[in-house]
Amino acid sequence: MYSSLVRLQNTFGFFTTVAFVVALLISASDFLSPRTPTVNVLKTTQLQTVKGRADYYSSKKEEYAIIKFTLDADLSSLFTWNTKQVFAYVTAEWPSAQNNNATNQAVIWDTIITAPSSDHLGNFSPSKLKRLRKSANGKGIDPSRGKLQLKNQRLKYPLTHPTGRLANTEDVQLKLHYNVQPWVGFLSWNQAQDWGKWKALKNGLSKKFTLPAIKVKEQAKKKTTKV
Amino acid sequence: MLSALGNPRQAAAQLMNFGLILSTAFMMWKGLSVISDSPSPIVVVLSGSMEPAFQRGDLLLLWNRNLFTETSVGEVVVYNVRDKDIPIVHRVISKFGTGPTAKLLTKGDNNDSDDTKLYAPGQNYLVREDIIGCVAPD
Repeated sequence: MYSSLVRLQNTFGFFTTVAFVVALLISASDFLSPRTPTVNVLKTTQLQTVKGRADYYSSKKEEYAIIKFTLDADLSSLFTWNTKQVFAYVTAEWPSAQNNNATNQAVIWDTIITAPSSDHLGNFSPSKLKRLRKSANGKGIDPSRGKLQLKNQRLKYPLTHPTGRLANTEDVQLKLHYNVQPWVGFLSWNQAQDWGKWKALKNGLSKKFTLPAIKVKEQAKKKTTKV
Repeated sequence: MLSALGNPRQAAAQLMNFGLILSTAFMMWKGLSVISDSPSPIVVVLSGSMEPAFQRGDLLLLWNRNLFTETSVGEVVVYNVRDKDIPIVHRVISKFGTGPTAKLLTKGDNNDSDDTKLYAPGQNYLVREDIIGCVAPD
């Protein structure tokens, strides 16, 4: 009964139980720290629709939206001792023309904000890693990283639609989202309602706008009429 | 161990015990599969395309039921490219339409461009069916 194998087994079993309970407590601690993300400004500064190809080899011409936007948001309250990274992203959303139930949603810009404790995990260039480490100043938690300030930010990903048509699309809205990745626990996203100490992201929507008609074509037409 | 060879009753019991352990593991795996409605409820991250969120070798628990909401933009999903059985863990970055035919486009957080190049020839978007689960916990 009291062989060393049994003792080893018991020790290991106890260890896993303790580790599991500690992990549960850590993930539960997230609910005690308030989340009060705020958006001060989210607006578009430039709108344009152009025709283009997905890549050099594709024969299909599609319409692409060119959007520039300004964002001023404060996500610093999302950084706690259990935060590994915050993934912040801005989507463009618009209802479908055919039926109002279907929606279109596309990420136009995103960023990975690592907590100082996970800087070494990101695939950063040595210079950027050095800069990040310096900015954190040896702190384990650096809430100032959650401050997003973008001015006339261009799209990171081309914005188009499977139909290839995008000009004159109405009721397009930009929306800020975030996804918190903890060291231990479940992933969590921005929520529409308050949950206890986690407040909803207010003011995270831009004004509705309509994408303009294609400009390039008109210019081409003018040229041909001139000649 | 050697004495068991001389005792067929004990040998049979040992064999049964071994079979029980194997079948229990299999039952737990399949049970998890039924609960999460996913053909592979636990996957291993194969690439660094979601770093620093998920490292290579991380284990992910999947959930493939849409109880309250549809799979939407921003969720981390695991999908199989058509005719290929390699699970890929990436984030949904666009969704056009609703329901099971909604067109989904994915991208790894750490990648520069979306997954159009990863998909099968002629496949420009994923549909809900291609997804084998959404990542629940870290």
